[in-house]
Amino acid sequence: MILEARDVSYRYKSQKDRPVLEHMDAAFSCGKLYAVLGPSGSGKTTFLSLLAGLDVPTEGEILYDGEPVMAKGLREHRKRHISLVFQSYNLIDYLTVTENVRLGGKKEPGKLLEGIGIGPEFWKRNVLQLSGGQQQRVAIARALASEAKVLLADEPTGNLDEATAFEVTAILKQIAHEEGKCVIVVTHSRELAGEADEIIRIGPAPLS
Amino acid sequence: MLNSVQRAWRSVVRKPVKSLLLFLTAAVISLFLLSGMAAGQANVLSQDTARQAVGAGFRLDNNEKNRSRRYSEISERIGADTEGSLEGVHQKKMETAYGTQWIGWADNSFETLKLPDIEALAAVEGISDYNITTCVTTVRPVGFKRIEDPDLDQHQDLGCVTLLGNRKMEFDSNVLSGNVTLKEGRMTGPEDRDVCVISEELAAENGLALGDELSFGDRHDESGSAVQRAEIIGIYRTKQPMAAYMSGDTFRSENVIFTDLRFPEKAEGAEGDPCFEHAYFQVADVDRYEEVRAAMEQVEIDWERYDFIDRNGDLSTMSSNFNDLEKISGLFVAVTLLAGFLILSLIFLFWIRNRSRESGILLSLGVGKGSILGQLFLEAVLISSLAFLLSLPAAPGVSKLAADYLVAGQQKQAELQKAADADKVADGGRTESEQTVTGVKIAITGEMAGICGAGILLLTGGSVGVAGLFLLRKKPARILSELS
Repeated sequence: MILEARDVSYRYKSQKDRPVLEHMDAAFSCGKLYAVLGPSGSGKTTFLSLLAGLDVPTEGEILYDGEPVMAKGLREHRKRHISLVFQSYNLIDYLTVTENVRLGGKKEPGKLLEGIGIGPEFWKRNVLQLSGGQQQRVAIARALASEAKVLLADEPTGNLDEATAFEVTAILKQIAHEEGKCVIVVTHSRELAGEADEIIRIGPAPLS
Repeated sequence: MLNSVQRAWRSVVRKPVKSLLLFLTAAVISLFLLSGMAAGQANVLSQDTARQAVGAGFRLDNNEKNRSRRYSEISERIGADTEGSLEGVHQKKMETAYGTQWIGWADNSFETLKLPDIEALAAVEGISDYNITTCVTTVRPVGFKRIEDPDLDQHQDLGCVTLLGNRKMEFDSNVLSGNVTLKEGRMTGPEDRDVCVISEELAAENGLALGDELSFGDRHDESGSAVQRAEIIGIYRTKQPMAAYMSGDTFRSENVIFTDLRFPEKAEGAEGDPCFEHAYFQVADVDRYEEVRAAMEQVEIDWERYDFIDRNGDLSTMSSNFNDLEKISGLFVAVTLLAGFLILSLIFLFWIRNRSRESGILLSLGVGKGSILGQLFLEAVLISSLAFLLSLPAAPGVSKLAADYLVAGQQKQAELQKAADADKVADGGRTESEQTVTGVKIAITGEMAGICGAGILLLTGGSVGVAGLFLLRKKPARILSELS
């Protein structure tokens, strides 16, 4: 088990009587692609941010490699253990393709970019000159640049057309299966969920 | 991974438009700071028709504004309603029939031009000789009669004669102007001790001749025992009566007695405590007049104390002595700093709000908030430094405009005050000579540029810090949800 959510609950300070997540357990291993499914407002993105160390659960704990992530600090967890991919790519607009990938970690950007189908002719371009699919590939390459074993993706195909979404899904699957990473994807896409090794469903929070 | 310096550089170079507002603001702040500082250190060039060096020379006088300010400052240090003496200023309480009265006065050590300053100026290459003239010193005539006019009201007269000491009498302004000439004998010189040159009227009245001695008593010495003697070495005559310093026969032209430099202080019972009122410096080569002036102005003395007057009556008045110019300049700098801080803080708040997406991405990549703030700070420093450097060539022109504007405002204020005071009775204190402003000489020094650069850096750092609180308070998850 590389990442584990143990009895995790989360409430916003302003809405203490209405939990976003309640007593949730989940465990994730390397080499697998996980899909987190659930209706809007069910707390999928909150769950992802707790796993990513961007926030702290109100109750319960997140463990990385059996150790609570709070032990070494959330920033350390984000820096060393987690890489993130977002729906809206979230690339830095004043950096080139290569420089954006270098933000993710020390790995050679060229190899990573070629590995996901971005040729050298694009490397020195500003990221805003790329298509949506190409930008998402660059975002994935940035996530792969780090040594992190866990890749978290929030609706990675949400802004892409069907064909490109299929290609990105294939890349994520490849990362899980060939590179042995733990890939956790929050999605509404049935196609992507269908490619997942495991599906975690998050139900709607009960109204009080 | 790109560090904050690499990110900052790329951001500034590749997205310069977003930095335009900051650049312009920093440039304006820089120009205002430099202008304020330069105006505070400016030389206000003015003309004084009543005072000027005669011939090819320069004249050094005490600056009246500076004197008044020094007096007030020392008096404040002694304390209100406190008796005491400090640096030549004295305060004393007196019980009178009308209740407690306070009197304050300054002695020679406060009033005098500083001898080391005079000697430093005299040592400048191109100065062939110099003179020092003492303050007007009143002493009692002992054993001789002074010239009196029975028809004049003498109720305020001191019953004294006036001594005027000179290092070299031939450079006294009365002699240089040609009004005073020798009838007999010679003038006083640097080597003379206890000698005097009297008017032909005084000599005739008392039947005095060269070689005779005159005796003088300290007018403060009621016992009359302190008497000093001076040998008559010359008798002078005047074309026009010399202007009286005050009313009363003590100061009338015929009762002015020229002496050697150190005699007046002895005669008034203050030996070793001279009062030097003017210094005159003779320029050897008239063609090098301006060159010598520049060299003299470079001499490091406390220029704020003095008026340095040339043969046309032109003088440089330090801004600190020109009405409230230095205060106004200081206020200008303070307002610029405060307004600059507020505006820069708002700009950086705007920056951080507009760049929350970028901050969120970097936070999600494990970059610390400190590093993100560091990047913003470096960007701000790069842009502000460029603005500062580009403002430097424009600074002298803008500073000149600002200083001219401030001086004009001050001058107008002074004219209004003068008009308002026109009908008031003078309080018997010192009067200021009439000065007309002819221009402002301004210089941006390396020190000013350094202070301005440091100020811009501090402003930038402070305002990035304030705006950064907005970022530091924000949770990464909140930014992530905003991104989603």
